Amino acid sequence: MMAGVGGGNDFQWCFSQVKGAIDEDVAEADIISTVEFNYSGELLATGDKGGRVVIFQREQESKNRQVSRGEYNVYSTFQSHEPEFDYLKSLEIEEKINKIRWLPQQNAAHFLLSANDKTIKLWKISERDKRAEGYNLKDEDGRLRDPFRITTLRVPVLMPMDLMVEASPRRIFANAHTYHINSISVNSDYETYLSADDLRINLWHLEITDRSFNIVDIKPANMEELTEVITAAECHPHQCNVFVYSSSKGTIRLCDMRAAALCDRHSKFFEEPEDPSSRSFFSEIISSISDVKFSHSGRYMMTRDYLSVKVWDLNMENRPVETYQVHEYLRSKLCSLYENDCIFDKFECCWNGSDSAIMTGSYNNFFRMFDRNTRRDITLEASRENSKPRAMLKPRKVCTGGKRKKDEISVDSLDFNKKILHTAWHPKENVIAVAATNNLYIFQDKMN
Amino acid sequence: MVAKGQKRKLHREDEGGGSAWESQLQSVLDISMDKFHRDQALVEPCLLRSVLINNTLRQVQSEVRAQVESLSAVKTKNQIGLLPEPSFPRSSPSAEHTPLFSLNNENMEDDFMAWTSEEDFSLSSAISAILKDLDTVIDASQGPCASQRAPLSSVENLTQYQSGLRTERMSDMASSIKTEAMCPGCPQDVALDKLLLDIDTSVFEPEVNLLQGFSVTADDLAKYLPSLSKSASASSSSSLVSHGQATWEIQEIEHVMDILMRTYPQS
Repeated sequence: MMAGVGGGNDFQWCFSQVKGAIDEDVAEADIISTVEFNYSGELLATGDKGGRVVIFQREQESKNRQVSRGEYNVYSTFQSHEPEFDYLKSLEIEEKINKIRWLPQQNAAHFLLSANDKTIKLWKISERDKRAEGYNLKDEDGRLRDPFRITTLRVPVLMPMDLMVEASPRRIFANAHTYHINSISVNSDYETYLSADDLRINLWHLEITDRSFNIVDIKPANMEELTEVITAAECHPHQCNVFVYSSSKGTIRLCDMRAAALCDRHSKFFEEPEDPSSRSFFSEIISSISDVKFSHSGRYMMTRDYLSVKVWDLNMENRPVETYQVHEYLRSKLCSLYENDCIFDKFECCWNGSDSAIMTGSYNNFFRMFDRNTRRDITLEASRENSKPRAMLKPRKVCTGGKRKKDEISVDSLDFNKKILHTAWHPKENVIAVAATNNLYIFQDKMN
Repeated sequence: MVAKGQKRKLHREDEGGGSAWESQLQSVLDISMDKFHRDQALVEPCLLRSVLINNTLRQVQSEVRAQVESLSAVKTKNQIGLLPEPSFPRSSPSAEHTPLFSLNNENMEDDFMAWTSEEDFSLSSAISAILKDLDTVIDASQGPCASQRAPLSSVENLTQYQSGLRTERMSDMASSIKTEAMCPGCPQDVALDKLLLDIDTSVFEPEVNLLQGFSVTADDLAKYLPSLSKSASASSSSSLVSHGQATWEIQEIEHVMDILMRTYPQS
């Protein structure tokens, strides 16, 4: 079945670009840890383990070239976070960027929030394509002029210059998280945002850095009684008083900030009853939710646990409305995956712009897409072998037993070191960004 | 040695859930303890990971408990003669804990019919004892402590309680598994090896009456376990088991100990 997944017409996914080094030896710092399109899709940001942020911009489509879509080229690169040392606890704080979230654009500049384990920063990315020339007090090369030699005054004029993109930190939100930040989410009021760590969620105002409101706190009085942690949190896309957070036990709590200052009591509690026949020692670990995302419509939310993606209707708490198996063939391998720590991998998931399709990653550089309308699913691979421009991606299949067909790959041959944890879907078009370790792949549909 | 050979033969014939369950239990226990110890060595382990590993260890613990209790329950019914066929109870002490592995009921029945009741009693008692010690390990390690540097507090109580354990265990063998051997502010070293040495010494003393120190008197046991006193040969009524049978039971316990020794190899 060659029809692709993308909602509506049949799409065929094609390779567009790949960014990053080709070397087999991957530098730890280059491993991509987050990928995010901005609201218009014009910009694509990545964060890596080295604390750097790289922003790609889509080039304007040339009217002459009808076939191709705009390509993404490097727009700005900056060091967002540096490694720090907590002297009080003798702990090193990693510079790895855990999350990037864009703010909606309100003027010529772009703003984004980037977070490592402990600190969130608001960055302003602005362009400069003019500079003033003809200063009175300094020469063109910047040297100060001798004031006694100035005999006339002139008005500096703005002259065009080569485009320069500057990134400057405008706010630093620090010292509010004892535990590791796993999520940040900009509220629909565009004034506040939340940040979540393992045990607490804080609400910030974008203008105020020296304080935040703690809105969820699940830390028990006796830490030895701790059995559940927060794994992800997100603000509702339209209702600025509503947010959700997921837990390591596979539950999601929806909270209304109007109900109380401290939202320890949820408004809604989403949990699917466990299937007793599939219970094992690993049931809890694989039920831990690694990502939660609201649909653009705000009516649904999607959760990712180790083996599946579930779509929930916010009006129905007792079970998801849709469940998609990502790699069910791993269920019989859970003991090995527990041993090699793969069972703790945190996969993310994302919606397409129209909420008709969802995407998530897997192992062996495979990623999966599910069409919610047609119920078709497809497995694709991000690899350099299929990296010719506009080369169509061939659907991949994992052989789960019996005779392996041609072009199928057996479960035992999967490379568990090649994992796709981070993916992003353009908000308006069928363009996707897939992070494969230190490489960023961009694919787009063949149509147009 | 004959008994041991027979025992092994039985296991070979019966490839059913028992050995598979044991083997997976052992794997999960091995891996979890290994991860736990590795995380202990880290300055700041991941809290999510620590909580999940800790919960898995607790789950292992409760599953083993459920198994032992159902073993005891079935055996007791057999001995009293209440139920002709032992049914592996699907319910466990806690409502939310269902047995993980669907042991073949027929296999269980064969096992029970093949074993003597004395073996079952001693075996389950030994397992209870070992579980109690496992509880001490797990309970001491449960939950992250306030300091983020050791999210799961190390098995700090073990060293202090080692000496107390032996007495506690011997006097409490017949009772259900109790936990909560918490001791704040104990030394940090996980002395599992010493713990196991302790168990080893006590069960392998050939002259020791295994039921010595039981709070239940010999007469009470004889009342509830008539077959025990009947099968005791050429020994006084005060000693419920003969030397030969004690040796045999020791071998049974040795088998169980082997499993745990593999789990916690002495360094």
